[in-house]
Amino acid sequence: MTRWVMIADLRRCVGCQTCTAACKHTNATPPEVQWRRVLDMEVGEYPEVKRVFVPVGCMHCADPPCMHVCPSTATRQRADGIVTIDYDLCIGCAYCAVACPYQARYKTDKAEFAYGEPMESEKKQFDPKRLGVATKCTFCSDRIDAGLAKGLKPGVDPEASPACVNSCIAQALHFGDIEDKASNVSQLLAENQFFRMHEELGTDPGFYYLWDKK
Amino acid sequence: MKKTVPVHVEKKATYCYQCVAGPDLLTVKVVDGVATEVEPNFAAADIHPGGGKVCVKAYGLVQKLYNPNRVRSPMKRSNPKKGRDQDPGFVPISWDEAFDTIAKKLLEIRAKGLTDESGYPRVAASFGGGGTPQSYMGTFPAFLGAWGAIDMGFGSGQGVKCTHSEHLYGEFWHRAFTVSPDTPLCEYVISCGANTEASGGVVGVWRHADARIRGMKRVQVEPHLSVTAACSSEWVPIKPKTDPAFLYALIHVMLFEHARERLDLDFLLRHTASPYLVGPHGFYLRDPQTRQPLLASTLEERVTREAIEIGADDEVLAQGMLEGETAFCKLLAHMKPYTPEWASNICDVPAATMRRIAGEYLDHAHIGETIVIDGMTLPFRPVAVALGKTVNNGWGGFECCWARTMLAALAGALEVPGGTLGTTVRLNRPLSERHESVKPGPDGFMAYPLNPTDKEHWNAKPNIRNAYRTLVPLAADGPWSQALGPTHFSWMFLGETPPGLPRVTYPELWFVYRTNPAISFWDTRQVGERMASFPFVVALAYTRDETNHFADILLPDQMDLESLQLIYIGGSKYIEQFWKNEGYALRQPVVAPRVDARDFSDIATELARRTGLLERYNASINRGTAGVPLKGEGWDFSLDTARAHSRDEIWDAVCRAASAELTEGKETHGLDWWKEHGLRVKPFPQSNWYLFPTLAAQGLRFELPYQERLWRVGQQLARRMHENDMQWWDNQLAEYQPLPVWKDFPKLWETELARIGGKPEDFPFWLLTSRSMQYAWGGNVGLQIIHEVAGNVAGHGGVIINAKRAEALGIADGDPVEIATPAKSVRAKAVLRQGIRPDTLLLIAQFDHWATPYAKDFGVPSMNSLVPMSMNLTDATGSGADVVRVSIKRTPRT
Repeated sequence: MTRWVMIADLRRCVGCQTCTAACKHTNATPPEVQWRRVLDMEVGEYPEVKRVFVPVGCMHCADPPCMHVCPSTATRQRADGIVTIDYDLCIGCAYCAVACPYQARYKTDKAEFAYGEPMESEKKQFDPKRLGVATKCTFCSDRIDAGLAKGLKPGVDPEASPACVNSCIAQALHFGDIEDKASNVSQLLAENQFFRMHEELGTDPGFYYLWDKK
Repeated sequence: MKKTVPVHVEKKATYCYQCVAGPDLLTVKVVDGVATEVEPNFAAADIHPGGGKVCVKAYGLVQKLYNPNRVRSPMKRSNPKKGRDQDPGFVPISWDEAFDTIAKKLLEIRAKGLTDESGYPRVAASFGGGGTPQSYMGTFPAFLGAWGAIDMGFGSGQGVKCTHSEHLYGEFWHRAFTVSPDTPLCEYVISCGANTEASGGVVGVWRHADARIRGMKRVQVEPHLSVTAACSSEWVPIKPKTDPAFLYALIHVMLFEHARERLDLDFLLRHTASPYLVGPHGFYLRDPQTRQPLLASTLEERVTREAIEIGADDEVLAQGMLEGETAFCKLLAHMKPYTPEWASNICDVPAATMRRIAGEYLDHAHIGETIVIDGMTLPFRPVAVALGKTVNNGWGGFECCWARTMLAALAGALEVPGGTLGTTVRLNRPLSERHESVKPGPDGFMAYPLNPTDKEHWNAKPNIRNAYRTLVPLAADGPWSQALGPTHFSWMFLGETPPGLPRVTYPELWFVYRTNPAISFWDTRQVGERMASFPFVVALAYTRDETNHFADILLPDQMDLESLQLIYIGGSKYIEQFWKNEGYALRQPVVAPRVDARDFSDIATELARRTGLLERYNASINRGTAGVPLKGEGWDFSLDTARAHSRDEIWDAVCRAASAELTEGKETHGLDWWKEHGLRVKPFPQSNWYLFPTLAAQGLRFELPYQERLWRVGQQLARRMHENDMQWWDNQLAEYQPLPVWKDFPKLWETELARIGGKPEDFPFWLLTSRSMQYAWGGNVGLQIIHEVAGNVAGHGGVIINAKRAEALGIADGDPVEIATPAKSVRAKAVLRQGIRPDTLLLIAQFDHWATPYAKDFGVPSMNSLVPMSMNLTDATGSGADVVRVSIKRTPRT
């Protein structure tokens, strides 16, 4: 069995938003739709204050609330853990967006472009199926599947890895198979202390945050 | 609109050098002739010290290409009146008409003579900072070279927006135009405002992330909690412009509160000026016959010796048996008063914190240890001090740079593995090679091309309007020097030229490229008003903007993904950009031009042809102005100087010469090979990162702690200026000191406030700025994707204010506020944060656009609109600091 997960090393992330921009390129999301983004958070009060950058997006939960509330079965889960949306089935009810504890889902009702009218690049990447339906991070499943078909290893070979991971200039983002004990992500989780966001909700998210060595 | 099915997909290698922390090596995915995605060039992962990754700015390149707001053809102004309130009435014209108009002006100027009645060049040119436009302007430098005298000293941010003191003093002390910790080896960094995570580029971010995991500790000392402070072990919120006091206290602790043996005494004795004997008048004691400095055999010695002491203009001040003491003794006496308790009252940092930091620095210095690099055994001193903008420019910059370099010297951590490194030279020659620029100079130190200050050679008549050769000896006189002078003086003196200088005149023709001084300089309103009087402005224009609003001709040059150029990559340069490889990379068109734009090389060639300069222009390219000499040992790809060559002909020759240079003539690949492969490198030894062995091999010392040479130069310059009835530089001349004393730097800004009619208590906030990685240098403010992603980083939408202080003032998050000086005010939205001192406000980046499409609707101000352009706030290097005293109050919601 395989379960694809992502890791964000909070010691490394600088909040530069390169992953945000790379995701927008690869997935051609419209303005203000950010399947990957990095939060800029403060903890404490001056002068005892810390600032931390936290990459967020769909956590590809093992027990995803978005899937349970979906009335049309558009939201499903692959055997490798990736949570998917079938745009042909989605009715755009947005129940999933409300149910998601991570605010990871977007819904765009009409075509929107950077400068009003579409640029050539936007025309080339436009997909009308994304209008009026829920969208979110796919873990770049198309890249993973195409890479696997070529015998490549997701999380190791760029061609088979999510765009955000490929782009990260701090090596903060990692991707791999948590069921493979020898994988990069399994090694990182074995060597470091980590948490998952809103773990108490029982969603079993597939997104881990490293914060210190063990 | 329907989904399209891709038929032909390809990836083309190119580079991004939109900011000085580049180049980033990337590929662009092109689907059926349309550029869609930027990705790292994964093939460069092993040769690039940042894993071949690409900064967020490069992800704006696709929008930059297809931006509907581009200038779509050459334009000419139809409204002869110029002003911010005037519609220029730009109308499209043909390239032929544009070239005709420009060439006619140039030929008229050439007929009159290159310089005007004041002796200033009639043609001026301004380019964006850090030399980045050179990576886009193709062969235009060859046109400039062929033309002759050009004033390149109209600043667009230089001085006030760069690390100016560091450029000049750093290069003087250790060939460090830019400075960096040896991050791959360093263990402990004290960073006074060096915003590496925002300004260090991919390599800086990559290396520091690795260093954090490795356990490197960085203490970030700055008034607000920047992204760099966020990624540091500790944030020390210091009061603005008091960093010299903090650094002096660290030196005091190391000198007086730790055992002397904890310092690198061998380094100080054998590799610095510490044992030089200083005489009663403050100059070195010298051998009466050879006039060489006399040295003690230990660091702390007082002696009476047969000696001579020579003053500023070679006059003998004393001769015979003279008393002297070592420069190190002078240092001890100088630093004695600067205790942590003294500093604490000034910089608002607890004395205990400074004591601890000084101790931790020594704890990590590994005094006495060595490391083997490339087979060389070198000292290993993994401690460094980094300085940021506003700390190392303007008043106080000299003191900070001196203290930083002294802290490195005390630990023997200067130019050795792990320590503080200079990473590029720009004022000494050769520009491309730090080590070759190390040559013996006077008194056992490195030579430095100071502008002369002796009676016979001082330049009383400036060659350009900012008078850098007259006023700033350290600015030298090389290709970069014009931009390293007091570049705001070019603008200021247009209003009133101070006594002794020839009246400053308007240039008759001004080229502007990849720069927007009407936004990016200090006192931008005054800069705009001056621009409105420029008689003829040629702007290479991407979109309309606040500077080309005043232009007469707009020329759209092909953008990053449309044009072609080969550049040098790697080696050692800007801050963290020291690599283990060096070579060349090609920027190539990934798609056909989207508007009626031309490649800058073709523009340059046409200008040369129409002005009769073709032969000199081609000859300049042959000599290497395009980055590589076309003739070398065993190869010759020189261009026929008699005819015009196409862009591809020129760059094919450059590519062949670069291939030959990299392979010692074995290969001569042309443009097609480079288009396919994108880049090529050869090894650059890590040992070349460190200057110490080169100095040691030549028996040269670092010129610290005592600044006899600078003191001498300052006295000479003062005499020259006074001999010419120039008294207006006296405050700046006081900066030339053998050992820099603390001055009340914050008070300087309060005094300036009083000068323009304000009381400090009415304007209690220090307004600062901070680098935006998403925008800095990029010329990308009109790109939607950049605006969108930058919005995720706090502060891009308004002014950051301490939350508790805001509450006391009745200001809530998102409230409209007015930020004011006695002279001007701007409006912003309040952004409440905890990570900022209660006496400080922060406006990230520089906005306040009023002409640039898209950006003019942001509604976010810039401190540049508030900062006065002032002689009083100009230091001896000709720079100012980006800081201004302001008030803030809530305004009614509209």
